[in-house]
Amino acid sequence: MALKYGDKIIYMEGVIVEIHDGCVAVDLKGRLGYLRVPMRMLLTDYELKVGQEVGWNMSFPEQLGPEVNDKYFSNLDAYKKRQAEMKAKNSEKED
Amino acid sequence: MSISLEYALENKNAPAVLCCRAEEGLVLSEHNLEDPAIFDDLVDSGLLNLDGAITIGEALGAKLLGTFDSLTPLTADKVEKAAVVEEAPAAAEEAPAAVAAPVAAAAPAAAGGVLKLHIDEGKGIDIELPLGVAGGAVAAGGAAVVPVAGAAAAADSDEEVIVRSLTRKHYKITEVKRGPETKIEGTTLYIREGIEAECRDDHGIVLDFKLEIITPDKYHTYSETIMDVQPIATKEGESELGEGVTRVLDGVVMVVTGTDADGVQIGEFGSSEGYLDENIAWGRPGCPEYGEIMIKPQVTIKSKMNMERPGPLAAHKAADVITQEIRMAMKKQLTDDMVVDTEVFNQVRRPGKKKVVICKEIMGQGAMHDNLLIPMEPVGVLGAKPNVDCSNVPVCVSPLEVLDGCIHALTCIGPASKEMSRHYWREPLVLEALHDHDVDLVGVIFVGSPQINGEKFYVSRRLGQTVEMLGVDGAFVTTEGFGNNHVDFASHHEQIGKRGIPVVGMSFCAVQGALVVGNKYMVTMVDNNKSEQGIENEVLANNTLCREDALRALEMLKAAMAGEEVKKPEKKWNPNVKATNIELIQAAGHEVELVKNEWALPLSDKRIKKYGDTPENVPERYKK
Repeated sequence: MALKYGDKIIYMEGVIVEIHDGCVAVDLKGRLGYLRVPMRMLLTDYELKVGQEVGWNMSFPEQLGPEVNDKYFSNLDAYKKRQAEMKAKNSEKED
Repeated sequence: MSISLEYALENKNAPAVLCCRAEEGLVLSEHNLEDPAIFDDLVDSGLLNLDGAITIGEALGAKLLGTFDSLTPLTADKVEKAAVVEEAPAAAEEAPAAVAAPVAAAAPAAAGGVLKLHIDEGKGIDIELPLGVAGGAVAAGGAAVVPVAGAAAAADSDEEVIVRSLTRKHYKITEVKRGPETKIEGTTLYIREGIEAECRDDHGIVLDFKLEIITPDKYHTYSETIMDVQPIATKEGESELGEGVTRVLDGVVMVVTGTDADGVQIGEFGSSEGYLDENIAWGRPGCPEYGEIMIKPQVTIKSKMNMERPGPLAAHKAADVITQEIRMAMKKQLTDDMVVDTEVFNQVRRPGKKKVVICKEIMGQGAMHDNLLIPMEPVGVLGAKPNVDCSNVPVCVSPLEVLDGCIHALTCIGPASKEMSRHYWREPLVLEALHDHDVDLVGVIFVGSPQINGEKFYVSRRLGQTVEMLGVDGAFVTTEGFGNNHVDFASHHEQIGKRGIPVVGMSFCAVQGALVVGNKYMVTMVDNNKSEQGIENEVLANNTLCREDALRALEMLKAAMAGEEVKKPEKKWNPNVKATNIELIQAAGHEVELVKNEWALPLSDKRIKKYGDTPENVPERYKK
């Protein structure tokens, strides 16, 4: 896939805000966003702690085209519906 | 930057380029030469033109005929070649070439004994050549050199020792129904109604449990992410895992799926939810075969537990309640007259052949990055230990234990590259190595991949030590998925390689899974990629290790053990490298059938729209 600005590589930093057994969540410094990455995509030299800083290179996401990908759109749709159904069902149970 | 002498000699055939300004009359040494590793980028960007450049080997000791700036490629007209330095390597090269030529052709069939040559004048180059005796061609090549050694080794070359056997009895299932009790009648499997209520755990993690039976006509239904595909099998009588008799149901598999209470996939970060028929690479070792019935539990666990260790484990345990009840029915109700097929796997040792070991790196970062090791029943839960709790240290198992389901895989990440429980049940590398008459497979080592680098190197050093103690001639290192597990993957190569043992690595890499790190021992590598674009394409098990990869790896290791040279890798992923390797193997007389990739999946209207794929676009090789 050809990116127009793919060579714009920017050094970014963030702070670990959540640690789970399977993933960590990172707040990008400067309130530039939030990122959840699976453990195996994180390179760690030390025991993980909330508040530790992380750094990586990234670029700007670019739209690949104007089209909507129907597969992902319908999956998302199904996913949201199911999530809503399940939430409703579980809250019923609690009541 | 200049380079070291050792590095210069390793790359003596690379083009010579000045690393800094050098004055006329200077006698060139490694200090004046640039690292050839950076040339590709410079050539691509037009900053460097290597046409006519002499090699580093030729440049060392040569005298400069003018003053040149940095990054000037050295051509024949710029230097006066040194007569003395050039002669020595030339003489050394001649000698091995003469001996290597006849033997190299027969190297794959080589067996036993090593011929060591030492050439004093060639700056102390040691050459090791296998002295084959198995095939006629080898004898012809080797005989000229040392006929006596060849004859002596011939005595035990074809002897095979069967260490133990495993028998798999297959029972056909054509229908799965619900009924008042779990039982098998003829070829119909009944699963007890209401068993779902018992598939809860004591800790309140599993909130809901649904059981679906997916027959081929229902393949086009939406499913939550597939966590695991498991064979339904049990041990017969007193047999222990890895030996004796195993009973297995044909035509039906367990497919574990699930979400948390908020509807978030348990395998978040690369999940394969969607229509089953569009998301499964049918027939991969880890996948269902097209036409098989899927017993598909859909487990709902407590909200947010999908990322914590107890979550995925509870889902697997809940699903195993059903499998276990089927196993009990199989023990009681199956009789020998119902057997439709019997397979016997022998663990064969071949004394005198090259000893090899398979090291499989499995996930051990926690949560869905875990595996249950060596349960009592094939792919069971009871009796198994999570490898995270074993600190991910190397665990040695027999090849038959692997094929008998000693790994219950919890791995959730990277649907296209993850190795599920059924993968180990049909592990192609283990099967091919067991059947290859040229190698002596000593066993399989499972080593976990922990999270922190320090721990990665800890387990990697243990692996290196284990391999050293086995005294093998070669090793395979495989890994699944991509990410930080490539850090230990590279370290395993180093630990084994630095002990002088040739090592072949296998992983999904291609474009998206490109290796994070590398070292000089990572020379012979096999990429498990099958996707057209070289990416994690969310099609279940699409990029996992298949027979075609196992054959490539085996041939590669044999070549490496025979000391054959490996060509340098291309700068970027190029699928033609694999195609060429396959052609070479086919030319040597092996049959290699390539598996199909995502192009073989049904081209739904949706897909035609989404990728612009049309039936005419399907590459010729995927047309049925």
